[in-house]
Amino acid sequence: MADAATQSAYEKLTEEFRNTQSDLSSFIEARQKLESQLQENKIVQKEFSILDDHSKIYKLIGPVLIPQDKGEAVMNVDKRLEFIESEIKRIEGQINDTRAKSDKKRAELISFQAQLQEKARS
Amino acid sequence: MSSEQQKTVDLTTLSAQQLADVKSQLEQELEHLSQSFQKLRAAQSKFKECIGTIVKTFQGENKGKSILVPLTSSLYVPGVIEDVETVMVDIGTGYYIEKKPKDAIAFYENKVSTLQKNLVDLETIVNGKMGNLRMVEEILRQKVMSSAPNVA
Repeated sequence: MADAATQSAYEKLTEEFRNTQSDLSSFIEARQKLESQLQENKIVQKEFSILDDHSKIYKLIGPVLIPQDKGEAVMNVDKRLEFIESEIKRIEGQINDTRAKSDKKRAELISFQAQLQEKARS
Repeated sequence: MSSEQQKTVDLTTLSAQQLADVKSQLEQELEHLSQSFQKLRAAQSKFKECIGTIVKTFQGENKGKSILVPLTSSLYVPGVIEDVETVMVDIGTGYYIEKKPKDAIAFYENKVSTLQKNLVDLETIVNGKMGNLRMVEEILRQKVMSSAPNVA
């Protein structure tokens, strides 16, 4: 029989593992959201690039459409793309870190379980 | 999904439990993919509708005709078509561009064909996954059948 100390250590480990897993899935979700924003902005950028200079651009702010200067709009979208790309890099770093952490925890858990079984048998 | 590395595994060597896990994961992926497929379809038909509306409405002969403008889906106000030369196109992320009807149609047609390409790609993936799922199910069935006599 496992004593109380190993029991609580085991529970703690399980808890930690579960936490890294849920962190991981929330990071992945954030990554997916960024990806769709990236795609949308890229489409807008492409649309701007084939636009002739005198076409009118509006931006929807709240319930109103505000006329915008083309240069300004292009700059805005470029800046936003830059930001999204750096965010994606950041999140991907976090995903990799968390994945490594979670793999480590998983290995720890498995070896702990093996130990417990060993103990139970002897 | 993290645990499934890109390795080839001989399915017959897996236990029934593992096969069942693989099966449920494949089912989840399939579910997700077919949802995406439907969403793409819906988006495509929306763009097609836009094209149809432009073609029908923005013609020279319609200039000066009166229309009912929907403010909500059930509230309309009367209006007059004053300009059949420009439309406003939502190109995403809150930006709108004034375009000639001809250009707007080209814009939407481009969208429709891009989506069509995505749909075809997605369909190949779905079919591949379905093949995998069938195979896993088949092997699982064999496993269960061959192990059944031992249990009984």
